[in-house]
Amino acid sequence: MKLSRIITTLLSGLPVTLTLLVFSFVFASAIGLGVAWLALRKNNFWSGAARLYLGLIRGTPPLLMLLLTYYGLPKLFMLIGVDINDWAKMIFGITGLSVGWSAYLSEAFRSAYLSVDKGQYEAALVVGMDSKDAFWQIIMPQTALIALPNIENLVIGLVKATSLVYVIGLIDMYNAATDLSNQNQGVYKLGIFVVLALVYWLIVLTIEWIFRSIRNDYEYVTV
Amino acid sequence: MLLELRDIEKTFKDNQVLKGIDLTVEQGEVVAIIGPSGSGKTTLLRNINFLETANSGSMTFRDQNIDMARPSKEQILWTRRHMAMVFQNYNLFKNKTALENISEGLVFGQNMAKKEADSLAEIALDQVGLLDKKDFYPSQLSGGQQQRIGIARATVLNPDIILFDEPTSALDPELVGTVLRDMKQLAEQGQTMIVVTHQMSFARDVADRVMFFADGEILEQGDADEIFDHPKNDRTKQFLSAIAEDY
Repeated sequence: MKLSRIITTLLSGLPVTLTLLVFSFVFASAIGLGVAWLALRKNNFWSGAARLYLGLIRGTPPLLMLLLTYYGLPKLFMLIGVDINDWAKMIFGITGLSVGWSAYLSEAFRSAYLSVDKGQYEAALVVGMDSKDAFWQIIMPQTALIALPNIENLVIGLVKATSLVYVIGLIDMYNAATDLSNQNQGVYKLGIFVVLALVYWLIVLTIEWIFRSIRNDYEYVTV
Repeated sequence: MLLELRDIEKTFKDNQVLKGIDLTVEQGEVVAIIGPSGSGKTTLLRNINFLETANSGSMTFRDQNIDMARPSKEQILWTRRHMAMVFQNYNLFKNKTALENISEGLVFGQNMAKKEADSLAEIALDQVGLLDKKDFYPSQLSGGQQQRIGIARATVLNPDIILFDEPTSALDPELVGTVLRDMKQLAEQGQTMIVVTHQMSFARDVADRVMFFADGEILEQGDADEIFDHPKNDRTKQFLSAIAEDY
């Protein structure tokens, strides 16, 4: 089998992989920020609810999360009379990964927030900032920088987790590769998987490059 | 009278750190607070600008009477916007340049336009001799430079009072002098200051009034000569002679 055939087949799954990656990361971050915010509140009810969410989600294997989403979400929506069985599998894939990764990201945000030097907030207050300005000007940017290495790790983990969507029948890069391998009775298996590994590797390298550029912009900010 | 504190008490769990502090500060006065570590000096400063909340006591600052145990949000913000503070470990904003560190309070505390704030910040930086460092981040500056920017950050706000919390304690000995010089210059310009310090020479040379603070109380106060040369309280004598052994 020609190498070009392997590459074109794998690349046909690339848009699905990248769509899953980008949208899951964005939604997971949004949910994660919200949950971290709740977890950090002094109110016991909300912080308790956030902790329960974190415990449950972090304790569920990502594969199982996808299955639960795919089979469970339509049942949940049925309860309120909405039929979502026709929704694209992509939506279930993104939802499952977003929920699964939201807990990890939430913990990255929360721990970063807690490790911002308390003196930074006090200094902001004593120059006359209100707590909102102090948060957005001083605390939030520093939290983001502290969280950056953890976020990078989680994004790289997410790249690999996108391959799990085969369980709900989405044809991503990984699924395209195994299909191609099976069509040929596994004869070209090794070659296909080596190419697949290289493509994942390139994606990860790109992500590392993006994070390194962000960090370089703040070279002299040590938090 | 610019500031009056009446019967400030502060307890952390079972530990009473401030045991009923009374303190008055006149306009233009430099008050030095000396005393052993852990005696509550820093806590007193932090109560004045509400970084801590007292258990009881009251304060008159300018024309405002404030219940120290139950200040309103507006009173806290108002107080902080008429005072400034210089920290022991500088606490410069790590994600802001030297210039931004100084202009930030003007922009967000006093709603000044960015441009105007920047030009005032440049003047303040120039006064501490660090204008050439305006685009540097704190990590690129020495402790002494950071603290002088900390002082510029305070003075640019044109505050009624600046609270100094052991401003030279974290510095390399050779850098202490530059910071003290900036503070002395401020005092000469008539800036009202309350300075918690272990620099006895500064207290002696610059302070209008020296307070000896120990175990959560002001045990003795007076001008520098009275405290350093003619202390009356035994605890003061003991502290001063213990310090003298260092030299």
